Amino acid sequence: MRLFLKGLGKRELATSFMLILFIILFILPFVTIGLKSVSVGWRWPALLPSGLSLDAWRSIMKDPKLIESLVTTFKVAFLVVLLNLLLAIPAARALSHYMFKGKSIIEGLLLSPILIPGILLAMGLQFTMIQFGIADKVIGVVFVHLIPTLPYAIRVMRAGYERMGSSLYEQASVLGAGLFTRFFTIALPLLLPSIRSLMLLTFVISLGQYALTAIIGGGTVITLPMLYYPYFSSSNDAVIAGFSILFALLPLLFIGFVEVMMRLVIRAVNRV
Amino acid sequence: MNGRIGLLSNNWKISLYLLPAFAITLLLVGYGTWSAVAQSFQTIDGEWTIATYAELFSSDAFFHSLKLTFRVAILSTLLSLVIGLVMTRMLYELFKVSTWKLLVWIPMLIPHFVAGYLVFLFLSQSGLLSSLLYQIGALENRANFPVLVQEEFGIGIILTYVWKEVPFVILMLLPVYYEIDHRYSEVVRTLGGSNWDAFKTVELPWLLPVLIETSVILVAFVASAFEIPYLLGVTRPEMLPVRAYEWFYNGDWSKRPLAFSAMILPGVIALLLATLSIGAVQKHRLRMIKGRSR
Amino acid sequence: MKRKVTFIIATLLFIVACGNSESNEMGNKEVLSKEWDEIVTSSKGTEVNLFMWGGDEGINQYIDKWAAPRLKEEHNITLNRQPMNTEEFMQKLLTEKKANKNEGTIDVIWINGSNFKNAKNADLLLGSFSKKLPHFQEYIGTQDQNANYDQGTEINGLEAPWGNVQFVFHYDSSKVDIPPSTLGELKQWIHDNPGMFTYPNVSDFTGNTFVKHLLMKGAGEESSLLSKGFDKKVIQDSEEYVWNYLNDIKSDLWRNGETYPESLTKLDTLYSQGEILMTMGFNEARGESLIENGTFPDSTKSFVLKDPGSISNTHYLSIPFNSPNPEGAMTVINFLESPEAQIAKMDPKMWGEGTVLNFDKLSEEDQQMIETLNRGESVLSTEALNEYKLPDIDTGYTEWINNEWANRIVEQ
Repeated sequence: MRLFLKGLGKRELATSFMLILFIILFILPFVTIGLKSVSVGWRWPALLPSGLSLDAWRSIMKDPKLIESLVTTFKVAFLVVLLNLLLAIPAARALSHYMFKGKSIIEGLLLSPILIPGILLAMGLQFTMIQFGIADKVIGVVFVHLIPTLPYAIRVMRAGYERMGSSLYEQASVLGAGLFTRFFTIALPLLLPSIRSLMLLTFVISLGQYALTAIIGGGTVITLPMLYYPYFSSSNDAVIAGFSILFALLPLLFIGFVEVMMRLVIRAVNRV
Repeated sequence: MNGRIGLLSNNWKISLYLLPAFAITLLLVGYGTWSAVAQSFQTIDGEWTIATYAELFSSDAFFHSLKLTFRVAILSTLLSLVIGLVMTRMLYELFKVSTWKLLVWIPMLIPHFVAGYLVFLFLSQSGLLSSLLYQIGALENRANFPVLVQEEFGIGIILTYVWKEVPFVILMLLPVYYEIDHRYSEVVRTLGGSNWDAFKTVELPWLLPVLIETSVILVAFVASAFEIPYLLGVTRPEMLPVRAYEWFYNGDWSKRPLAFSAMILPGVIALLLATLSIGAVQKHRLRMIKGRSR
Repeated sequence: MKRKVTFIIATLLFIVACGNSESNEMGNKEVLSKEWDEIVTSSKGTEVNLFMWGGDEGINQYIDKWAAPRLKEEHNITLNRQPMNTEEFMQKLLTEKKANKNEGTIDVIWINGSNFKNAKNADLLLGSFSKKLPHFQEYIGTQDQNANYDQGTEINGLEAPWGNVQFVFHYDSSKVDIPPSTLGELKQWIHDNPGMFTYPNVSDFTGNTFVKHLLMKGAGEESSLLSKGFDKKVIQDSEEYVWNYLNDIKSDLWRNGETYPESLTKLDTLYSQGEILMTMGFNEARGESLIENGTFPDSTKSFVLKDPGSISNTHYLSIPFNSPNPEGAMTVINFLESPEAQIAKMDPKMWGEGTVLNFDKLSEEDQQMIETLNRGESVLSTEALNEYKLPDIDTGYTEWINNEWANRIVEQ
């Protein structure tokens, strides 16, 4: 250990210190949630729970709506991610490479869904959605989930485009490449990290929506938070802890799936 | 440059690119806001009135809440930015490896209310930290443990937000750090400048737009989120979202217009702030992109 | 890319444009004039959506594992429990009313008190249905107080009683030898044990009910008026007692009364951590499941205040104005009011709450079942609970407490 430390410079030492700090502060607390989900009667001043039990997990698994809610959650989140990709990529391209009149107003507007309290928008939209007949349906929920996700999606894609710069694109265009060729051969590979971030971020945000889903989904579209949130007004925090873990696992599952899909697509494209 | 060939065709292209996102946002936000504003000016029976706003502005309790809300929002945003920035600076090389980068993503996977619950679990008077101090003999009684959650200043709330937003700040800043040409920093240092000089002249210009954007998002978010102040705040003064929530759902429905107006105000403030700051960094940003080639 | 986007937008707009054809101008009130047999027959093979708060495992179990399979078997009805907070489905109904949506998604809702008052005033309920239910007629009857007033609001048959719970205090018997039995003794206990007692913010239902007990005491002989509509005179006579009491105990409360737990959950957490020695709440048997899952210490017992008594609260089932299946809804509610369903609900492994059926009207067999039911160690005897039972008071007082409490107590 000492030798190892000696071998490091001051700067590396500081970096490792920071990394450890980061892990202690931001990762370790999750272990507590895990422990909490299998604990019985954890009281001050005990540092560890007085007993272990799987009751909380059992009651989560017993919920007859669990499977339905997982399927709905994934369905909603997939559609939200897809729509975000379709909407954010062109918008980000325009915002990153062109200067035009009224741009800051448009940017402000595109950011506005996350600046105005979501519950306010949802309550206002509820009426309209009912009239249009898309309340209480998955499509309506997907639509309102664009409120908290689209601004971030545009933001992430825009950063990707800005990092890419416009020169490569212009070179290709000078060489006579069409719009689609340019996008798929040049932009897409360079944008891949951003696309990955976009997918994960919008998935996580969509997954976490309770108020919007409840108000627009009207209790008919049951996503995981609909099952999970009411437990916050019960006193059984082992169940809450269990749900939290389940909750954190879903995005990991999703991103794993996306990663595999992407690899397959890239391999297929390369072959062509 | 392709962009200069014809103004008209360019405008067409921009509109076409932007239209879908723009239209959907306008539809969602426009409709929602309009309806909310309308309801804030109506009594529950549908009569038009400004009494709601008059009541709001004549209430001391409202201003106490507003003050607390923005104090908490600004403090937690500043702290998150500073801590996030320091961490990014020290760790960005490491986070280039995608396994390490996953570490930053993990805290993002936990919803805010769970974060609030965690802070309560660790820092309340009966929390784990208090237990630990008792076990090692540093604390005689849990009543001697400092009151960190559910106190008037909002320490617990601020801590939760900082804990939750630092990883977000890091994620926002990382792409910028990969763009910065760090050879310039070396140049500054070689010329006898301090670390601070290097940061100020090389990194800050790149960071500024993102920092401003992130802070606007964070302030707006903290000012309008309900769960954490509800979980970790005190009875009075309470933060604005908690007050609005009470107005929304308690007793008869006569106070709903108050709830709408109490939430519109911070929203409007945030929106103005955003448009102004985006305008300010706009030119700066474009200049940097145009100058870039690889 | 562009084309795809345009396509999506067009699709969305198309969906938006053609969705608005669902309203059902007929209305569904005609069910109220049908014969009961006809109602039961036409509800066969249908689905019924029951919207209710979903945060208690025992309650969910009772619906999913006990009631739903039996309804399927006896009536061929599929009962879907949809977990949703009361505020949210009320909000939904209110907006649907405004938007003239006459074919909704909710068949049965679980409500009471101010939510019922709001729903009644906004005309969100189907109509007078409860007297049509055979079980209601047989085991509750139209004379029953709970069938006529819900916290001071006249019911008019708009909702049918479902459960009855009493307000009890829980304490840790390993640390408190003899629990207080009157408000006076409670005050003394709080002074003797500073920091070990508190009550939730009155915007929480439980905190509000705690204060209502003081109001009952303060009103003294007039207290019978409290459940018969809001009366300023009663307030004038009793408010001094209420605010003096709360201010007297304030400095000896948890955290010196500088802040209060926002909800019953927070109060329970403080109790389970041992920061305070008492908690409180509706449902005389609610401690059982919490002891069982380790949240409350095993030594938890309960008590009621003999003076002024313990407020009881009835909660109800109702049918919204735009229920797509009112026949099914009525069949389900009638089923849930059967002695069989009500007795199963008293089992502490399920829900554990009290019945709304009139004990004297039950068959001897059912009476015996209730008497021999073991509700658990922490639950007081039925006799003790009945002896000190008080009716709930008008929602006007709930709001009065809500509006005054912060000024009088917190911001002092």
